[in-house]
Amino acid sequence: MTEAAEAEIDEEILVTLSDYLDNVLPPDQRADVEAKIKNDEAWKSAHAQMVDAGSVVTAGTSTLQKARAPVSFADDVTGTIAKRSAGRFFGRRTFGDRVPFVAILVVALIGLGIIAYIMWSSPTGSLKVDKEHKPGQQGSAIVDKP
Amino acid sequence: MSELERSLLRRLRDRDERAFRELIDDHRDRVFNITYRMLGNRAEAEDVAQEVFITVFKTIDSFREESKFSTWLYRVTVNHCKNRIKYLARRHDRDRDELDETSQAQNGAVNGMPVRVANPDKALASAQMEKLLGEAIAALDEDQRAVVILRDVEDLSIEEICEITGLPDGTVKSRLHRARLVLRKKMQRHVE
Repeated sequence: MTEAAEAEIDEEILVTLSDYLDNVLPPDQRADVEAKIKNDEAWKSAHAQMVDAGSVVTAGTSTLQKARAPVSFADDVTGTIAKRSAGRFFGRRTFGDRVPFVAILVVALIGLGIIAYIMWSSPTGSLKVDKEHKPGQQGSAIVDKP
Repeated sequence: MSELERSLLRRLRDRDERAFRELIDDHRDRVFNITYRMLGNRAEAEDVAQEVFITVFKTIDSFREESKFSTWLYRVTVNHCKNRIKYLARRHDRDRDELDETSQAQNGAVNGMPVRVANPDKALASAQMEKLLGEAIAALDEDQRAVVILRDVEDLSIEEICEITGLPDGTVKSRLHRARLVLRKKMQRHVE
């Protein structure tokens, strides 16, 4: 088939045949197109040309392997966004995406408990209860008389 | 649009990183395949595919849910590819001599063996056919290339391609047909 002949398919025929080959025509139109392919030379040659080109190309494209994105692709994209937004989006945080508030609270309570215990158990600790100390003596001091 | 997709969109609009990673995981290979077939170069394809997702992140608020999300995503992808092709063409004009030397060096490395389909090894023949078709697709003009990749490589419907490219139905069909004729001619010439 020559290049000139290839370029001569009427636009309307091409559009209709494309739908016909894609199986998207309703049955009555499909039958109409089939009759035209059988009886009309222009339709017949256009159909042959389109089937030929389509089958050669789709046979070739079926051998094409799908190109796959690199494994690190998502990290690369989010990293670029973080960099361009100066860390406003997707910036890496010390504790990751979520701050473990419960864990921090538990650690803080345990720490406070330890400090309280040390202060309570110390002989001079401010939390030590002095049982021998009388309330009236509070603030008294031995003052040397002149 | 499914409820799952709506929920993902809501999270994307809230700039949720996990949602964005889900989106990338769902679409990265298809977007990459389109950019690779459009540009014919892995490094450029990777760079453009990254830019596609960054654009999606920046402009997700402008997606009006009038079409499928994937259609919008592929439209962004094709537009980025066309822009990169134009940019590379301008750069090629500027640095033609330098790029020609690089290209020749790369081709020399890739074409370590002669390309002949008559090779009895089927795997090799298939690899050669893939290489040949890849080159033939890369030689198409950018509009024909986009249409043939979306239809014959990605298997999208004509209706979706019209939405992605913004072209009328008749234009898409005629471009597809012309692209197939060019590809058929190149492939038959090689087989003969």
